[in-house]
Amino acid sequence: MNRRTLLSAGVSLALGALALPAFAFAGDIPAKVEAPVTISYYNYNLATAGIGGEATKKLIAEFEAANPNIKVNGVGVTSAEISTRVQADVAAGRGPDVAQMVFSDFDFMVHNLGAVALEDIIPTAELKAHFEGISPKGLALGVYEGKTYGLAYTFSTPVLFYNADLFRKAGLDPENPPKTWAEVKVAAKAIVDKAGAEGIATGIFGPSAGDWLFQGLIRSNGASVLSKDRKTLTFASAEGIEAVSMLQDLYKSGVYSNLDISAAMDAMAAGTVGMYLQTSAVQGYLVKGAKGNFELRASTMPRFGDKPVRPNNSGSALVIMSHDPVKQRAAWELMKFMTSKHAYTVITSQIGYLPLRTDIVNDPQYLGEWVKDHPLIQPNLQQLAVLEPWESFPGANYRQIVKTMMDGAEQAVFGGGDPAKAMKDAQANAQKLMPAAMN
Amino acid sequence: MTAAIATMGSTEKPLARRRTRTANRRLLPWLYLSPVIATFIVWIYWPLIDAFRLSFYQWDMLPTSPIVPVGWTNYINIFSLPKFWQALGNTGWYIAGLLPLAVALPLAIAIFTADLPPRARMVYRGIIFVPMIVAPVVAAAIWRWLLDPGHGMVNMMMRDFGFRPLRFLQDPNLALWTIVVLTGWKLIGFSTLILSAANANINPSLIEAARMDGASKWEIIRDIRLPLLSSTVLFLVMMTILLGAQWSFSYINVLTGGGPLGSSTNIYYVLWDFGFSSLSVGWSSAAAVILFLGFGALAFVLFRLIDKVSFHDN
Amino acid sequence: MTTDALALPRRARRASSASGWLKGFDLAGGHVVMALLSLFCLFPVYWMIVTSLRPANKVFERSLWPTAASLDNYTYALNAIPIGQMLVNTLIVAAIVTVVQLITGLLAAYAFARWRFPFDKLVHVLIALTWLVPLQVVMIPNYLLIANAGLLDSLTALILPHFASALAVLMLLQAMRSFPNEVLEAARMDGAGSWRVLWEVVTPNLRGTIASLAILIFISTWNEYFWPLLLTRTPEHSVIQIGIQMFMTSEGTQWGPLMAASTLASLPIFILYIVLQQQVVSSFMKSGIR
Repeated sequence: MNRRTLLSAGVSLALGALALPAFAFAGDIPAKVEAPVTISYYNYNLATAGIGGEATKKLIAEFEAANPNIKVNGVGVTSAEISTRVQADVAAGRGPDVAQMVFSDFDFMVHNLGAVALEDIIPTAELKAHFEGISPKGLALGVYEGKTYGLAYTFSTPVLFYNADLFRKAGLDPENPPKTWAEVKVAAKAIVDKAGAEGIATGIFGPSAGDWLFQGLIRSNGASVLSKDRKTLTFASAEGIEAVSMLQDLYKSGVYSNLDISAAMDAMAAGTVGMYLQTSAVQGYLVKGAKGNFELRASTMPRFGDKPVRPNNSGSALVIMSHDPVKQRAAWELMKFMTSKHAYTVITSQIGYLPLRTDIVNDPQYLGEWVKDHPLIQPNLQQLAVLEPWESFPGANYRQIVKTMMDGAEQAVFGGGDPAKAMKDAQANAQKLMPAAMN
Repeated sequence: MTAAIATMGSTEKPLARRRTRTANRRLLPWLYLSPVIATFIVWIYWPLIDAFRLSFYQWDMLPTSPIVPVGWTNYINIFSLPKFWQALGNTGWYIAGLLPLAVALPLAIAIFTADLPPRARMVYRGIIFVPMIVAPVVAAAIWRWLLDPGHGMVNMMMRDFGFRPLRFLQDPNLALWTIVVLTGWKLIGFSTLILSAANANINPSLIEAARMDGASKWEIIRDIRLPLLSSTVLFLVMMTILLGAQWSFSYINVLTGGGPLGSSTNIYYVLWDFGFSSLSVGWSSAAAVILFLGFGALAFVLFRLIDKVSFHDN
Repeated sequence: MTTDALALPRRARRASSASGWLKGFDLAGGHVVMALLSLFCLFPVYWMIVTSLRPANKVFERSLWPTAASLDNYTYALNAIPIGQMLVNTLIVAAIVTVVQLITGLLAAYAFARWRFPFDKLVHVLIALTWLVPLQVVMIPNYLLIANAGLLDSLTALILPHFASALAVLMLLQAMRSFPNEVLEAARMDGAGSWRVLWEVVTPNLRGTIASLAILIFISTWNEYFWPLLLTRTPEHSVIQIGIQMFMTSEGTQWGPLMAASTLASLPIFILYIVLQQQVVSSFMKSGIR
């Protein structure tokens, strides 16, 4: 009945479970799973009732059929909660064996949650064989401090969706969508003036938006969120402020408004918005809305003047969390299956993410036919070649840092004040939450 | 637990020795209280006490991570959030907006409809109680559906009548008031019922006597009904002040996430957002302490105030 | 105060014909106000049901009733998640919580109503104060407690923290205090122990309060969302509120199935309410939480 004893008992139990294999070396895990084993797999597609969940269940069933010794206990957790759920369960001593983790939690996952580096447990030759055919940029997303902690799984890039019907109505050429932010402004203005619709909506801001689009936006103007040594925040640099001021200008000229994610998505699907910058993962929803209503097209993320566009990914990677060699083997088998050519065909065509393996795109055995029928995937594929990692912030307060940064940026764009001041205030506040300041 | 008390109760009578009896007497109320006390200690008070301690540490809950003492840093971090102060102000607006909907309007309705035939009254009361039983998640889903700026029913109707569509949840000037109305939607039936009950309990002979004296309807309301309803009204005012922030929480969480620009956030949501939802033990413990002390102090003042007023009333 | 009211200045009696006319006007006004309010309260619920009955491709329509009613959305929702199992789980949790809270509430309220004892005021206040401690504040330690007891993803975990509630204690205490003392005294004279008095004399006389309290507890447990969200892992061990949320995803909201699932989740409560409506409303009127 005593709460403290219960708590501490639990804590020491959990300690025992976690502290063991601090350093495991390659080749430690068995080559095969000989006896039946059950692994838990946290996945956010399973938390939704829809195509994503169905496709994931199907993939798990196929995996179990192919690996009779391994049973996968799939647990659905929404994407917004998956990292806190993993954290809570690791704290309770029953963390998952494999988890689909959002990239912005990478630092915390590696340093605090005990994610396992693939190089530490998988024989090099086996690893190399599996990495064959994976796009190098895609592979790099899961690399942290020189080691591969995760394989990009359901991930995507920012895509500029546009309503070709509204483009025509506004006297714009749908064959030539805007390539720069300056062109976006012109096009958006035409859509507002001549087609009587909203100019542009984005998924940059809003409670569930995170910071992934924002990072890509300011990076494309030469700014970064974090210094190279990961000690200083830099999002309020001159370039960062310039990028944000551009959005403020769009807002002030009446072509860009602050819609939350679901409202923006619904508006685009209903055909009342000209352009929409958002993850390619919403494609399925937009296509459904556009069907018989308007022509939906997509282009790459706009750039700043002559500067190259430098988008980062959104989405998740598969990460091994287990410290038990047999379960690690089982987890690795699952991970291999989920990042195979076959799985990526399902993930791309049914759930709407990017194929990590670019060689399946033109292979008729896999995505070949589908890609021909779905030209919307093209900008997404093009951007895969220039994709950069989504930075995760260091330290225990990394979530609060993201919130503070995004609050500041939202204030800068829509708050009506001086964007430079809003950004600098936010940076100063957030810097106090960085680990260096804590010591 | 209940079995233990049962034996206690039945053995009390036959073994009627004076000593054991007084000892029993002393123990008995505590035995009856024990299930409730145990539940509250385990699930509420012990965590709260622990929160006081943990609010001076930084910890991410993981057994492998160190628990680092950080002094007042967690409190400083919370108090230096620009959103914290915005949220505090918003909380005031929420209460100000909810009071008319949760107290004044129901009061008017309760008095106004007291003369309706009993059957009609029952039907109306049955209907306005419905929002109270709708789950918050369901209510939030329905309202998001109704208020959608693109194809929500409300905006389409407004367009039909020639108004410009409104962004109820996306306009920083509107979001807070929209959530006030949605929260009021849930409360209005409850408050009306309670006030109607109190109103119906007023001795009809008082009203009759006043009417015989030629008092007008308004005079009866002002001089008899309102004073006699004052303790119920105070109760509702107190509920609104103390729990208003909690009632709005699920709507804020599902519908706006506190936005846009933090315009619809309140104290409760901000502390949830930066503390509890991110599982940083230090932040959330400090937030818990702030919430408990803040609302505890408010409750104390309000109870005092009510004590005074109702004493005066009798 | 009452003397004040009685001492109103005498006025000339108003013409009776005018007052009759006025009364009719008041009545009509009352009906109009209540009708508008009823519309405001009921329409969203009605709209949920109507939307859920529209065919999948006509969800965005806005005729006041479904032009071609279809159960598409229900079939979809029922296939997507185990709604039946979730409803049963929710029912189990809500029923057990209701019974347990009533029992613990009766015991505690009885202790306060019958005896004066040291610190009784303090304990009373501390119980009342738990109203001010929302679940989110104690969420993390409670979570760890449940997890360490190995109860994650079980219905027990959803029930345990709800073994007692301030509302039950305070409402029952209120009702017991208004209970005529003579009856209690008579029972005591008969030599009935406190245990027997509680169950044989007090409880049967509180039927009205217990009924309305039971309904309140049942509904609020049925509607609970945050605690289950934190504790459940699999849809099969989850409650219906979690199921609803599964249709609102970051990849787009499925409005039709969402409204269907919401309707299914609300149906049992609505039925309970319609059956017991008289009871709920009138026991509210009687007990009149003041």
